Amino acid sequence: MTVEQTQTTKANEEWEPRIVAYCCNWCSYAGADLAGTSRIQYPTNARILRVNCTGRLSPEFILAALDMGADGVLVSGCHPGDCHYTSGNLKARARWAMMETAIEQAGVNPKRVRLQWASASEAQIFADGVKKIIEQVRELGPIRSEWK
Amino acid sequence: MSDPNEQPRIGVFVCHCGHNIAGAVDVVAVADMARELPYVTFSTDEMFMCSDAGQTLIKEKIKEHNLNRVVVASCSPRMHEPTFRRVVEEADVNRYLFDQVNLREHVSWCHTREPEKATEKAKDLVRMSVARAVKLQELPIKTVKVLPTTMVVGGGIAGLRSSLDIAERGFDVVLIEKDSQLGGNVAKWTHLFPSDESGAQVIGPLIDAVRKHKRIKIHLNSKVSDFDGYIGNFGVTIKNLSSEKETKVDIGTVIVTTGFEAFKPDGYYSYTESPNIVTLAELQEMAPAQMLVRLSDGKPVKKIVFIGCVGSREPGKIGHEHCSRHCCSATAKAAADLKDNVDEVLVLYQDIRTYGKGHEEFHRLARQKHVIYSKYPSDAHPNVEVAADGKIRIRWFDVLAGSELEFEPDLVVLASAMIPPPDMDETAKMFSLTRSGDGFFNPEHIKLAPLTTHTAGVMIAGAAQAAKNASEAVIDASGAAAKAVGLMAQGEVEIESTVSHVLPELCSSCHTCLTACPYGAIVMDEEQDPPVAFVQEAKCKGCGTCAAACPSSAIVMYHSTDDQILTMVEAYLCATPESEGGSPT
Repeated sequence: MTVEQTQTTKANEEWEPRIVAYCCNWCSYAGADLAGTSRIQYPTNARILRVNCTGRLSPEFILAALDMGADGVLVSGCHPGDCHYTSGNLKARARWAMMETAIEQAGVNPKRVRLQWASASEAQIFADGVKKIIEQVRELGPIRSEWK
Repeated sequence: MSDPNEQPRIGVFVCHCGHNIAGAVDVVAVADMARELPYVTFSTDEMFMCSDAGQTLIKEKIKEHNLNRVVVASCSPRMHEPTFRRVVEEADVNRYLFDQVNLREHVSWCHTREPEKATEKAKDLVRMSVARAVKLQELPIKTVKVLPTTMVVGGGIAGLRSSLDIAERGFDVVLIEKDSQLGGNVAKWTHLFPSDESGAQVIGPLIDAVRKHKRIKIHLNSKVSDFDGYIGNFGVTIKNLSSEKETKVDIGTVIVTTGFEAFKPDGYYSYTESPNIVTLAELQEMAPAQMLVRLSDGKPVKKIVFIGCVGSREPGKIGHEHCSRHCCSATAKAAADLKDNVDEVLVLYQDIRTYGKGHEEFHRLARQKHVIYSKYPSDAHPNVEVAADGKIRIRWFDVLAGSELEFEPDLVVLASAMIPPPDMDETAKMFSLTRSGDGFFNPEHIKLAPLTTHTAGVMIAGAAQAAKNASEAVIDASGAAAKAVGLMAQGEVEIESTVSHVLPELCSSCHTCLTACPYGAIVMDEEQDPPVAFVQEAKCKGCGTCAAACPSSAIVMYHSTDDQILTMVEAYLCATPESEGGSPT
């Protein structure tokens, strides 16, 4: 291992992924609440932002977070068919496919973003989703390593 | 009303929640950090922010420091946002100038063993909330009038009870039933539990009372063909299915009591292979004498088998995972009644759940009359075969005896599931209701708001909400009626101001938002040239889907503006020394 590699490894060890987690108020934010109430323990890296519905999220919110230095972005909403607003999550899902392509074209690994469904009663699924995005991002390293 | 241009003066209150938050988060350090943030005039930590002392503290500090925005870092806003909104309003701060940070459910309780990292996360979240608070805008508190008429959809036992309750309190009712008569499923049933009466006996007087009531207008053979408007002011079109005639009415509230359908268990226990295999619902619809003769050849019925949980409690099978709740008691009642006239009655069951008032007594009565109960394993259901000569043979494993058993009954009764009626999806779309895994309508909150729905002004009652028995449906019905009357008696209702708004000068008239809105709340304002999109605020539920879809960024989602969201992301990721409380050098 070269000196440079050793230094990078060391830097990565000290680095903690910063995750922006957009959660809809009705399902996933409540699911995160239940994770807390159930004392389910998960890593501290994610900062949850409450929006009414994942349908509220324009791709700009995800791109802007990555641009500002988020190592990963999690979007968590109600299951399809279970949206508080009947279909906002379906619109989020439709936009997601387009957005993934866009970030890939921008040179960002799409594994830095994750869309998941977690209902108000699925605390463990929510916590597992947070762990999953952190693991994915940890493998990829800091976002700045991808800026060319 | 405060001046929207005045400088933000933010108060930050960090809650210990006893040991709940303070046990993992250094709340003093969080409050100290917050004190140094831009526009923060006051910051402190307190044992219980939701207590009287905590609430008083907020009000005192608002007065003392002339605060115009408040951040409380405590539990989930889903718990206490209404509490703190009320508190700040009592101190003349608009409720939309309050923001809450979730340090308990989202930090201390899920990072219990990582106090340093938890404190770091708490600081980030408070910094994000303060940044948002700077951008918050005062919004008006709006009310709309509630028309004093309720539409009840479905004329079964729940719909009838609701209608009568409302009419007796002096409000008008429009009752809609798709069938040609009132009474629903209950009217057809012969053995009702726990009252020892037939369905017709129970529901007859209720139907009479509804028919005679001056305030109740009944539409038989009718369906709702169009539903428009918002809480307090719905416009409904009722279509008569036989004459195709349409009637328009204006109503204030809705109760959906569309009930259930008895599952026809094709593919279960040779159901379709013999006329002597019927569902419990079909048995209930027979006249008592008819039950005692074989449908195949008119010979007397001497031996009967009931099988429980048919199409219910099947893990992994969508729409059939739930317990149908009425069948154990209904089976016990029917079995006990029939035992008086036949030689043998067997009940094959997985579990017995006679949970209601008086239900266990029927179960006991059945056993006292020597109805034989035999438990079969949940993973090995009984096998029912119909021989060429029409004889029915049942083989099953009795769990308690530990042995294979065999029986040749004259009649097999399948206690089949309660499932949603076939037009459930149509009804769901009509009233913008969502459905749970069992296929029935979702209540607003399963525990705290079981009768209201996410469509404000629309209530659900009876088996439209979940499988349940008639007495439970009636309890729902009276509850939903009380909800509707509450709204109508008040005469007006507060609506959320967190709605979207189109900036006409930016609108490019592309109609994207019209298709994005799940509620049809956006229309084109034809008065303008060119016509621009316009949000009917009372119909807007505040999901923000239109704002995300608008290609011209012409839609502002109040209380959730792009700026209010992105400033939080920025406060988290791009914290400058200044925003972190350092000196602005």
